[in-house]
Amino acid sequence: MNGLHPLAWWAWAMALALAAARAPGVWAVTAVLAGVVLVVAVRAGEAPMARLFPAYLLLGVAIVVARVLFHVLVGIKPPGPVLLDLPTVRGPDWAVGVHLLGPVTTTGLATAAAAGFQLATLVVCFGAASALADPRRALRAVPGAVHRLGTAVVIAVSVTPQIATAAATVRRAQRLRGRPERGWRAVRATAMPVFTDALDRSLALAASMDARGFARSTGPRDRLTGPVLAGALVALALGAYGLLAGPAGVGSVVALLAGTAAATAALVLAGRRVHRTRYRPDRWGGPETRVAASGALAAVLALLGPRLGDERAGLVALLVLAAAAAPALGGLTAAPGAGPRLALPEAAR
Amino acid sequence: MTQAPARTPARPAERTGRRRVRPGVRTGVALALASVVGAVAFAWPLLLRPEGPLVQAEATPVLLAGVLVVVLLVTAVALDDGTLDAKAVAVLGLLAAVGSVLRPLSAGTAGVELVFLTIVLGGRVLGPAFGFALGSTTLVASALLTGGVGPWLPYQMLGASWVGLGAGLLPRRVRGRAEVAMLAGYGAVASVVYGLAMDFSFWPFAVGLGTGLSFVPGDALGANLHRFAVYVAATSLGWDVGRAVTTVVGLALLGAPALRALRRTAARARFAPGGTPGDTPDEGAVQGARTALATTRRPRHADAHDEG
Amino acid sequence: MTALLLDRVGVTYPGAATPTLRDVTLAVPEGELCLVVGPTGSGKSTLLRAACGLVPHFTGGTLTGRVVVAGRDTRDHLPRDLADVVGVVGQDPAAGFVTGTVEDELAYAMEQLGVPPATMRTRVEQVLDLLGLASVRGRALADLSGGEQQRVAIGSVLTAGPRVLLLDEPTSALDPAAAEEVLAALTRLVHDLGLTVVVAEHRLERVVQYADHVVVVRPDGTVVDGDPERMLADVAGAPPIVELGRWAGWVPLPLSVRDARRRAAGLRADLGHLAPPAPEDAPAVAATLLRARGVHVHHGSGPVGRPLWRTARPGAVVHAVRGVDLEVGAGEVVAVMGRNGAGKSSLLWALSGAGRRSAGAVAVAADAGGISPGAPDGTAAGEAVLDPAAVAPDEARRHVALVPHDPAALLFRERVADELADADADARPGAAAAVLAEPAALAVQLAARPRVLLLDEPTRGLDYPAKRRLTALLRRHAADGGAVVVSSHDVEFVAETADRVVVLAGGEVVADGPAARVLTASPTFAPQVARVLHPVPVLTVDALRRALGAAS
Repeated sequence: MNGLHPLAWWAWAMALALAAARAPGVWAVTAVLAGVVLVVAVRAGEAPMARLFPAYLLLGVAIVVARVLFHVLVGIKPPGPVLLDLPTVRGPDWAVGVHLLGPVTTTGLATAAAAGFQLATLVVCFGAASALADPRRALRAVPGAVHRLGTAVVIAVSVTPQIATAAATVRRAQRLRGRPERGWRAVRATAMPVFTDALDRSLALAASMDARGFARSTGPRDRLTGPVLAGALVALALGAYGLLAGPAGVGSVVALLAGTAAATAALVLAGRRVHRTRYRPDRWGGPETRVAASGALAAVLALLGPRLGDERAGLVALLVLAAAAAPALGGLTAAPGAGPRLALPEAAR
Repeated sequence: MTQAPARTPARPAERTGRRRVRPGVRTGVALALASVVGAVAFAWPLLLRPEGPLVQAEATPVLLAGVLVVVLLVTAVALDDGTLDAKAVAVLGLLAAVGSVLRPLSAGTAGVELVFLTIVLGGRVLGPAFGFALGSTTLVASALLTGGVGPWLPYQMLGASWVGLGAGLLPRRVRGRAEVAMLAGYGAVASVVYGLAMDFSFWPFAVGLGTGLSFVPGDALGANLHRFAVYVAATSLGWDVGRAVTTVVGLALLGAPALRALRRTAARARFAPGGTPGDTPDEGAVQGARTALATTRRPRHADAHDEG
Repeated sequence: MTALLLDRVGVTYPGAATPTLRDVTLAVPEGELCLVVGPTGSGKSTLLRAACGLVPHFTGGTLTGRVVVAGRDTRDHLPRDLADVVGVVGQDPAAGFVTGTVEDELAYAMEQLGVPPATMRTRVEQVLDLLGLASVRGRALADLSGGEQQRVAIGSVLTAGPRVLLLDEPTSALDPAAAEEVLAALTRLVHDLGLTVVVAEHRLERVVQYADHVVVVRPDGTVVDGDPERMLADVAGAPPIVELGRWAGWVPLPLSVRDARRRAAGLRADLGHLAPPAPEDAPAVAATLLRARGVHVHHGSGPVGRPLWRTARPGAVVHAVRGVDLEVGAGEVVAVMGRNGAGKSSLLWALSGAGRRSAGAVAVAADAGGISPGAPDGTAAGEAVLDPAAVAPDEARRHVALVPHDPAALLFRERVADELADADADARPGAAAAVLAEPAALAVQLAARPRVLLLDEPTRGLDYPAKRRLTALLRRHAADGGAVVVSSHDVEFVAETADRVVVLAGGEVVADGPAARVLTASPTFAPQVARVLHPVPVLTVDALRRALGAAS
């Protein structure tokens, strides 16, 4: 199983999302977008989720288009050079009395498009993380404290295609009965055998798991974990509320960080009870650190950008692009034997 | 499986096993607190004050999604204690798989409706904590398989988990047709509320702050809600209603046999909390062992102990 | 040393009126291959589950007596505590897979037991070599064949290092070659590693020669055990070799083909002196009931929800059936054989009209006359034929009906009585146990009175008496003027039932002829009696009796 640790890609992508959200101008946002697309194009390769990335790009386009449309339809138009002189229609009173349409100015349009573009880039960063981070490795890296729920997710992911096939088989078999039911009876006739079969499978699966030693936690129940969990939640609640409502920004951020730290502590504490080893644990190595660092660098540059002044916006954008796209270079310069760095099917070798 | 309390001695573990995964205190507290944070995250525009640091950031839901990820992780740690044994995990996984199959079937209509069927049914039969876990697990599994992960996923997970939690909290004694009707009604309400909640939390994200239908921080609550209502009516009301209708129809059609199948499985599974042999002995082991020992010593009572 | 000890064990499931096992006392010595036999539903699975602690901790119910496995009492130990000494593989190995790839599945048990990573790596390599899985180590579990899946399931419990291995019907769904591989692996475990392997099986013909110890579970729940020769002399469901031995009066009973051949020298000589026994007479084909010409079946890409672990490229198309011609006449029972993946199921589905057919024609006689043998594609001179894919399913079902591989898919009412009432058949009495799914599906399909009956692997999970009943039913259907096409791995069943055998490989027909000729032409397909009496072409003990009876 090749490729990087999924957390590395997520760290990189989230840092870039932060950069896009706080970017000082359209050029910086474009730089982030370009960097993201470049890296995905070079590194995604045969990843199972790589096919979905174009859908995210389309979603981004849709967000921009939606913003522009909303602006044209119901936006409060700022003054400026008029692009489209549409009549102002006053909406009915039950509909808030909003002013529909109205003269569309370039300023307004540009602002709306820019805001949409920023959010679209944000979404594309998430898409890049989905495409690059291998979900198989992510599922194997589930920490011990939540390994039962993690196992449930693994089971769900493994069994879903079989259930889909079973549904097709049942549908086919119903035809053998000579009366392919129509309408609601068809739904019942197809769904119930599949459902009961899934439930029977679950018990057989459980027997197999049990007989192989599943959930053999042999430590005393920890008295500390509960309060730590509660504390983490309280801190998160306070931090989120403070960030939204209160003036004290720093305090809220501290509360959020404290909550996260407490959550990590609870994870470790609860994980100590679980005696379980990993077959091939994922290592966080040099490449992972480099990828995460490049994302962090891009974020820092974007945050510091405004301090350098507007005239340097182009330079800032270029630097952001360089930092964001750095992982792509890793793919290009990798040794021939090492990439595309995802497991090929044995049969294809 | 019907109970036969008169024939078995008064050891509660020996009666027909609990069908629900009973949560401990820790889990209850965690779920309550998590719901508080969730409420903050969903209703964040209402809490926004003009002097707050985030008032200009339309990407707030993304930040709050990050907070929700930590919250969900914490809740997962609270849920993932000794009460989940192999059977509970397997049933959870399989029900999540069924939900993941249902999800892309409704593609073209916002794609989430049918998922609530399994979540509501699972929560009803197996309890509120299980329902909560089922909601999250189904959404995660289906995201990994089909949808990919986006900033809306933690919101969807929490929303679906609440649907499962609510289904588990409905009155227990209702059975038969009334039960199906109650679940269908609950499903309809839950679908609409889910849709509204998702719309609300992503409202500024979708529309921005400078339109006639936008949220205006600091404005009167009534005016903001009015604008929200118009926004919903204009954009996603059709989807929300469609989702509600599909859920109701699905529950009406499949509710009764599915409930029976689930209850049968739960009875066969007889979820017994699997603690550690150290402090709280595993009830399943105890009842199995006790039964075996008891009947070995008093073989003539073997017939009376057939529940086990 | 005793690997498995049961001391006056009785098991009653919750809600059951009678105990499944009664007063079982059994001691399985270490290092033996122990075979558990008995009629369907008699409690073989329960015995295995009791041996690993799943009964009563997992399934509930009452367990009386004592079960000690590898020195540990199941009263004090949960199944998860026994995982390092006992491994159990259930009837459907694919249903027990937790992960997505072979290596992860092998390592799963060790992860749960907390084995250090270095040891895990070594053990995985050893098990891969032991079971011959090294070539598929990186593959997705869903891509494996039945035999490979079975071996992975065995490997997944083997890595934990147990001393006792319990297997429930490991070869029931496998074709002969895959079954041989699994059995070879098991014997290697017993002989090389000294494990104790307990196998519950219906299809005894392959496994009985390796067994050191046989446990017979009687329908009333009691158990007797002992040497294979002694136990099999009395048991109702016995493999053909044992039946041959009983009939010929050989003592002790031969268990392998080699032993039987040594005893059968005299018998072969007797038979050689007679006129060669007439092969199962192909009944004079009265009329062709079903004719298929040039049938092709393509299967497209994967189902909803692309699986994460599949390694097949999306959009790959499988050409399952390539240009098959088949004619089936009234009164014929035709068996379709071939290894897994040869296209047997696809062919039957295409013939029934309910499955995909990419090319070719299928014609089914629509009236009593039948299709005249030589006419191309029917519709000559006023014959009524129909294409089952072109007419409504209701109509098609009256002429050709298929009982699919998974009979439960056909049934969706909650009780068998409802199903049968629904199918306009007389309600049959009996409990709706899962084991009756096959006959129930068969009953449902027969209710439409089709002339051509298609069955896809009907013998999975059936014991010898049930198979004999099925044989009788199918032969009666053929004798009444109908036709039967049955696909099966089970050579013995085919030898008893079929007049004609068609062999498929890679989607193409490679042999088509009278059963006696085709089955004796190749060693893989030869039934045991034929192998013992080679070169005399006798397929079954009944045929042997008839041949000698006719001669005397």
